[in-house]
Amino acid sequence: MVNLDKTLLPAFLLALLICAPALGQGRDFRVKPKESSLEVINQVGTIRVTAGAPGSKKVQINHKKVSGDAKIDYSSEDDKKIKVEVTGKGTVDFEIVVPPSLDVDLLSYKGAIFVSDLTGDIKARITTSGNITFTGMRSKKVEAHGSTGNVSFTGELQDEGRYTLKSFSGRIDATLPADSDFRLSASTFGGVIDLGGFAMKFERQTNQLVEASSGKGRASVKLWSQEGSIHLHRKP
Amino acid sequence: MECRATARSLSDYLDGWISADEARSVEAHLTGCPACRSLKMELTELKNAARELPLHTPSKAMWARIINEIEADRSGQWQPVGEDAGEGTWWEKFKSRRFSFSLPQLAGAGALAVAVAVFGYSSLDSPGQTGRLNLAGARTAVLPDEDQLIREFDRRMAAINARKASWDPQMRADFESQMNRIDQSLSKCRQMLNEKPDDKVHQEMVRSLHKEKIQLVNDVERLKW
Repeated sequence: MVNLDKTLLPAFLLALLICAPALGQGRDFRVKPKESSLEVINQVGTIRVTAGAPGSKKVQINHKKVSGDAKIDYSSEDDKKIKVEVTGKGTVDFEIVVPPSLDVDLLSYKGAIFVSDLTGDIKARITTSGNITFTGMRSKKVEAHGSTGNVSFTGELQDEGRYTLKSFSGRIDATLPADSDFRLSASTFGGVIDLGGFAMKFERQTNQLVEASSGKGRASVKLWSQEGSIHLHRKP
Repeated sequence: MECRATARSLSDYLDGWISADEARSVEAHLTGCPACRSLKMELTELKNAARELPLHTPSKAMWARIINEIEADRSGQWQPVGEDAGEGTWWEKFKSRRFSFSLPQLAGAGALAVAVAVFGYSSLDSPGQTGRLNLAGARTAVLPDEDQLIREFDRRMAAINARKASWDPQMRADFESQMNRIDQSLSKCRQMLNEKPDDKVHQEMVRSLHKEKIQLVNDVERLKW
């Protein structure tokens, strides 16, 4: 009779060892949201950042190695500046939950970035291909810079807020409440600019450039795509 | 447009220093002429290779040697190094001189020779035309801060080039492809700017594209390959 325990246990452990990186790992950090920041530098893969409960003080980072032998380094300076950096070759996906008001800086060479429901300052950059998507944002400062991918923003603008959405050849979409108060600067070389029915007071308007204000122009919205189109959408 | 005229415009076309009409003529000719397409490809490769060359600053000793020789030449004390050198014509003196060059010097001299040859070829049939040199001046005049942006890019790119060979081939291909896309777009915008040098929109686009190139280099510096 075969002893199943003795036969299967080593096989199970071996399988676990092989599959462990793909199952996901990560780190948690305690932070002071108004004083802390998170920086993630990825090579290839998806970064998804969502907001935790209001008032939460925990950053939960889960990473999953999809392929290759990438190395993930976590560091923290007095729980104020958390840095996650991927080195080596390989694809790594991140699922991150942060306090809503944390400042976040994301860089990926290739792959998508999703950010939702945050109120802190956000920077997101993709060097080559991949889309950047913001949903439910209430941040005062957002900078998104794609390359061949699209950049999409849905959220509420804050007074004195600054919002810069750029892509070299991707499409830019900004969906804002109908009563948003902002000054717009939009420019494209190869695409079109669609103002989505916002009632604007124009300072300059050509096929390639629009400088205009909606309301008193309290927030600043800069949209640029060299080769792609720019679309504003009114959210009822 | 004929082959000779196309060849004359090709370098400026690749740099975006010709008008939109002229660019369309070049493109129309390239579509039906394999020989000029091949020339365009070679010129593109040459430009790319030149961009990859590391920057070399001559050593202090080298500068001192050059200055001494100029001074000696000015004061008529120029003496050839060759053992057989003596009194004679300047050509005999020149022939008797011994020259030695390092590899970067030879590469630089080669690039200069190619540039002179291309310029010479492009100047055929156009006596009195100053060609690219004046266009380069015009480029600076329409966008005064462009040279500064190019210098910043070149400086940072030189550091990147030194370690580019160790990059993952796919990452490198993506980087170069993106850089080429930006360069092509830059070329188009500069053509527009040549037509209307005071167009603020295209001036801003040219600036944005230079900044886009610098941003690409910034990213790679941050990614620490």
